[in-house]
Amino acid sequence: QEFQFGPCRVEGVVLQELWEAFWAMKDIVQAKDNITNVRLLRKEVLQNVSNAESCYLIRALLKFYLNTVFKNYQDKAADFRVRKSFSTLANNFVVIVSKLQPSQENEMFSVSDSARRRFLLFQRAFKQLDIEAAQTKAFGEVDILLTWMEKFYQL
Amino acid sequence: DGVAILPAPQNLSVQSTNMKHLLTWSPVMVPGEIIYYFVEYQGEYESLYMSHVWIPSSWCSPTKGPECDITDDITATVPYNLRVRATQGSETSAWSTLKPPFNRNSTILTPPGMDVTKDGFHLVIKLEDLGSQFEFLVAYWRREPGAKEHVKVVRSRGIPVHLETMEPGAAYCVKVQTFVKAIGRHSPFSQAECVKVQGETLPL
Amino acid sequence: HVAEDTSDLLQHVKFQSSNFENILTWDSRPESAPDTVYSVEYKKYGEREWLAKEGCQRITRKSCNLTLETGNPMEHYYARVTAISAGGPSATKMTDRFSSLYHTTIKPPNVTCIPKVRSIQMIVRPSTTPIHTGDGHRLTLEDVFPDLSYHLELQVNHTYQMHLGGKQREYEFIGLTPDTEFLGAIRIFVPALVRESDPYMCRVKTLPDRTWT
Repeated sequence: QEFQFGPCRVEGVVLQELWEAFWAMKDIVQAKDNITNVRLLRKEVLQNVSNAESCYLIRALLKFYLNTVFKNYQDKAADFRVRKSFSTLANNFVVIVSKLQPSQENEMFSVSDSARRRFLLFQRAFKQLDIEAAQTKAFGEVDILLTWMEKFYQL
Repeated sequence: DGVAILPAPQNLSVQSTNMKHLLTWSPVMVPGEIIYYFVEYQGEYESLYMSHVWIPSSWCSPTKGPECDITDDITATVPYNLRVRATQGSETSAWSTLKPPFNRNSTILTPPGMDVTKDGFHLVIKLEDLGSQFEFLVAYWRREPGAKEHVKVVRSRGIPVHLETMEPGAAYCVKVQTFVKAIGRHSPFSQAECVKVQGETLPL
Repeated sequence: HVAEDTSDLLQHVKFQSSNFENILTWDSRPESAPDTVYSVEYKKYGEREWLAKEGCQRITRKSCNLTLETGNPMEHYYARVTAISAGGPSATKMTDRFSSLYHTTIKPPNVTCIPKVRSIQMIVRPSTTPIHTGDGHRLTLEDVFPDLSYHLELQVNHTYQMHLGGKQREYEFIGLTPDTEFLGAIRIFVPALVRESDPYMCRVKTLPDRTWT
């Protein structure tokens, strides 16, 4: 079992463990998101992503989650079970990002640029919200992210 | 915090076998007093992005013995910082931190226990229950020159499972190794075990 | 934004889903007014407008079938119920975010167990769902879950199990003793989502061996 984002291969992460970690906190996190008319990971961000694009996109998204979405979350997560599940999710995202080495060659520019435009759609929607509301919303959409990642998971 | 008169625990180390991780340390001795220990951990994410955050261990905050099963706390294949401190009443020692950090990909994988039996013409195997992270690669072959080796992935643990329907009069041998997806490593193969089927023949 | 009121008119507003049939249900406390009527609305997560569910406006029952309206397994939805009692207060409550892909309970598979003299054949019929594609084709669970597989166990005289599994629909446990009873258990398994159905159970007896009689 491994992820295969186009040319980028990621071993040592068990997708079921990510699901179990997120499910343990899903209701708590999603219940805090009262903005039901905004979805950050919209179709335009994730639909019809080519294999070649996928490595660039997942890397940008996961780095954003690690740097911005998850920031200070541990301080806010009072519930011990949530803190543990959050740590599992965040540390496995660290593993994935550390193994994603997308090609930086020129002929890949159009692919990486397409991935960057998709990511910017997500980031712009994120920035239109108050930071705390945006962090909560993006965190609550990890199930959408995992469902998309699943397509690249080889059993 | 109480003043750190109490000595900090020393000689922290982790013994890890088959993805079971045990943190141990030298006990802090104060005659006539009961010492409790608190264990905390942080993964690479916490140490990189929020180094002030430490998470209490699932089973050892507090604990009385000089050891802690941290298996449930280590849930990613990244380096984990672990620290322990002693308390006695309101007194609290300084933290001792494990050096170097622990990564579960260093766990020792041993060949699994197995029990090979037969029921009539059925070759049956029962494998040691090592937990949900383990898969078993079972290799079996008919004991005769040039016999082909078959391999089956078995996920059921701790219950006897049919492996093959054997030919009358033949002997079959089995060996098994474990595979752990989370760290992408195999154990060595176990010793081979063989069984022989009686000579009756199955009516056609 | 409609003020949400959490009085005892309305409780436990949630989806009950199995094999992608999505039913919205709710409760009210026994002492609430018997003439209370309920109206249901729903929407996709990310969209602004709430849509009234036809057929579930000012109803007295406490359930509403939203299968068609929440039928896309890749989408996320919300539903909400407004309870109005004659001359009394009203209350509105919303569900948690719902996605049938994660929340639906997978029912046991449909299986036919056929005993023979030294084997038992098991034929799985794909489970249909209420989901239709654009051209009216009705999806099965296999269509919705690309990594769906079947796990078959046969308990042999209470001491060990035989296992078969895969994506195909026909299986046969061979090398069995004639005229003997066996217990079969067949599950649907969706590995990526860590989902599994309850087992379909069949108790069958292999046929007597009349070869030499």
